[in-house]
Amino acid sequence: MAGHLVGLRLALLRNGLRRSSWPQQVGLALGALAGLPLAFGGFLLLALVPRAEPRAGLLLVEAVFLLLFLGWGLFPLLSFAGDASLDPSRLALLPLRPRELVTGLSLAACVGVAPLCTLVALGGAVVGFGSLGPGLLLVVAAVLVQFALCIVGSRALLTALSRQLRSRRARDLVIVLVSVVALGFNLALQVGARLAERLERSDLEALRPAVRVLGWLPPGLAARALVDGGEGRLLAATAELAGAALAVLALGWWWWRSLERVLTTAEPPARSRARQPAGLFPRPLRRLLPADQRGAVAAKELRYLARHPRLRVAWVISCLLGLALVVFLAVSDGIRHPWMVLASLTMAFLAAQNSLNQYGFDGAAYWTQVVAGADPRGDLVGRNLASMVTGVLTTAVLAVALAAVTGGWLYVPVALCLGAGVLALSLGVADVVSVRFAYPLPDDATNLWAVQGTGQGCLVGVVQLLAFAVQGVLVLPLAAVVVAGLAAWTPALVLVCPLAIAYGVFLWRVGLGLGASWLTGHQPELLAALSPRRPA
Amino acid sequence: MRGLRKAFGSKVAVGGIDLDIPHGCFFGLVGPNGAGKTTTLGMVTGLLRPDAGLVLIDGVEVWRDPVTAKRRIGVLPEDLRLFDRLTGAELLTYNGLLRGMAAGVVEARARELLDVLGLADAAGTLVVDYSHGMRKKIALAAALLHAPRVLFLDEPFEAIDPVSARTIRGLLERYTAGGATVVFSSHVMELVERLCDRVGIMHLGRLIAEGPTDQVRAGRSLEDAFVDLVGASHAGAEELGWLGTWSA
Repeated sequence: MAGHLVGLRLALLRNGLRRSSWPQQVGLALGALAGLPLAFGGFLLLALVPRAEPRAGLLLVEAVFLLLFLGWGLFPLLSFAGDASLDPSRLALLPLRPRELVTGLSLAACVGVAPLCTLVALGGAVVGFGSLGPGLLLVVAAVLVQFALCIVGSRALLTALSRQLRSRRARDLVIVLVSVVALGFNLALQVGARLAERLERSDLEALRPAVRVLGWLPPGLAARALVDGGEGRLLAATAELAGAALAVLALGWWWWRSLERVLTTAEPPARSRARQPAGLFPRPLRRLLPADQRGAVAAKELRYLARHPRLRVAWVISCLLGLALVVFLAVSDGIRHPWMVLASLTMAFLAAQNSLNQYGFDGAAYWTQVVAGADPRGDLVGRNLASMVTGVLTTAVLAVALAAVTGGWLYVPVALCLGAGVLALSLGVADVVSVRFAYPLPDDATNLWAVQGTGQGCLVGVVQLLAFAVQGVLVLPLAAVVVAGLAAWTPALVLVCPLAIAYGVFLWRVGLGLGASWLTGHQPELLAALSPRRPA
Repeated sequence: MRGLRKAFGSKVAVGGIDLDIPHGCFFGLVGPNGAGKTTTLGMVTGLLRPDAGLVLIDGVEVWRDPVTAKRRIGVLPEDLRLFDRLTGAELLTYNGLLRGMAAGVVEARARELLDVLGLADAAGTLVVDYSHGMRKKIALAAALLHAPRVLFLDEPFEAIDPVSARTIRGLLERYTAGGATVVFSSHVMELVERLCDRVGIMHLGRLIAEGPTDQVRAGRSLEDAFVDLVGASHAGAEELGWLGTWSA
């Protein structure tokens, strides 16, 4: 049975790779390659640092073991929906006992890129601490127990939470978490590298209480067993190893019980939180949006922005980019000029890029619009209205934050007017591109980076790049006027405000007119472009 | 409709259909999978552009004046892609405002429809969390919201529980009694036989029989008439002989 389950895991890995398009395969290969530096980096860290800096040895091993344990707990939770081999309920209909399943699934979990990288990294500890003698056996055993802790702990947690993880709400949350964790990890790496540079020997002493606490956690026990074994304290190492092994057994028991529960009890009915029917229009905008088709479309777009994980992620990422700009300016003294507030215009420009495929999230649900005989112009205006609300809002927040850092409060209204102009002209371009080169975005909550297999990915990429270029060219006159204003006489920028708005609105109306007039006779064609399957 | 035709590449999905459906009629369109029912309904409702042919609804040519024609129809498609990140109540409001209805009227009608269809408790739940049957019902509510003269329903009773099915049947019967026309496709022959005044049988993209239900079934059950007209396959009776031998 164990062989079958290992074979199943291998087949899923192989087929997952085979089903992917070549860009996805390249992505997977790059992902695997990214794992190798981490594995070898971990190996070198554990192999070299303890010999060079013996006092830091225990802290380092404890930290690495704990991070590995937490990583193994967290990452499978994030990839649960996308990895069929992680969901135990898929095996519920097969006549298998938990004992066979625990053995088979444990072995299957040892197959893959992540377990391989973990073992390579842990191998460094054997090199770093192991010395010939009976202690070597304990060092190797400590590494194996730590590996078992990672595998069994990860699967136990996953199985215990598997029912919750299958819910739509959890999948939505996972998508947002994956992107935030990825960004946070990147940030933590950079901050960590800076901090490591400043770490002094005296700081290690300050960390001693933390070392003591970590040492009593299961990965800490394995780490202490490893260090004690390497230094010849065999009795202490054996006791610590026994403690860590007991933790593996306890986790294994938890896994067993969870498996029994998942395989033998009925799935509870999905509970979804019923909201108080509050109406389509978000409360703060109820009086601002018109109570007609345009308002309805704008309200729907805003509701989607708040509720659809992909849109939420795009929004969060653009907000984080803006935040990064503020932080960058706050920490660098040389370029903190008041006019840097105008850098908030990048936010308006970026916000408009999300509108280049305005019908993509509608997908086949666009039939609602077609069958209602909805006016295409009103439809586009509604979508633009929603983009305008969010774009101006983020630009305003960024402008205010930049003004707080640089003191350029007088530039805030200028930035807002220019932002509105940039957004309007960008939306004009987006209106034409959205209707002529629409493509469906998969409503797939399992994979944030999934793309619909429309076979036109390259064309879409080229068109969007062209649209971006056209928007850039159209922004140039405004940029030139602003630069001239800054160089000649800054108060003249006030005159740019109405000019920017008039220019933006003019170009928006041109784009809107072109888009709407094409769409008026071609709604079924747009629907066909947005429907992945043709009706038979 | 006259000479309605649609091909996808070399595959002819609908190969020229002529059909008249009288006002106030309950019309059933039946046929095996892939017969072309969904494609026909798509072309009639303005969702799928035909290669050739003419569709008139209540005197309005659908492909020449789609906006006027669409004001008179309500549609429940088979592929239930909805704006499912809206709640049930929000979806109805959205549909009503798209059709240019006044907000107050939309709200009152939506509340009534949600009550009648047993969705009042789920009005504030996101449609993505609805069961398949609930999605059918909310889509039906959206199709009825503007009180259309003609209702096109593609497999409306699929995955609907018996209690809801009875409610919907009653609602549709009351609706046709008031002079409206209902055109629906279904695989459930008993239902079509019981509900429909007229029936059309499609096979391989063509209408092979059409007329008053009693006339089409000619003394047999509609299912027998359907199987005779379409031709049933008896393959498989001998091949799966092992199915009677039990595993340990």
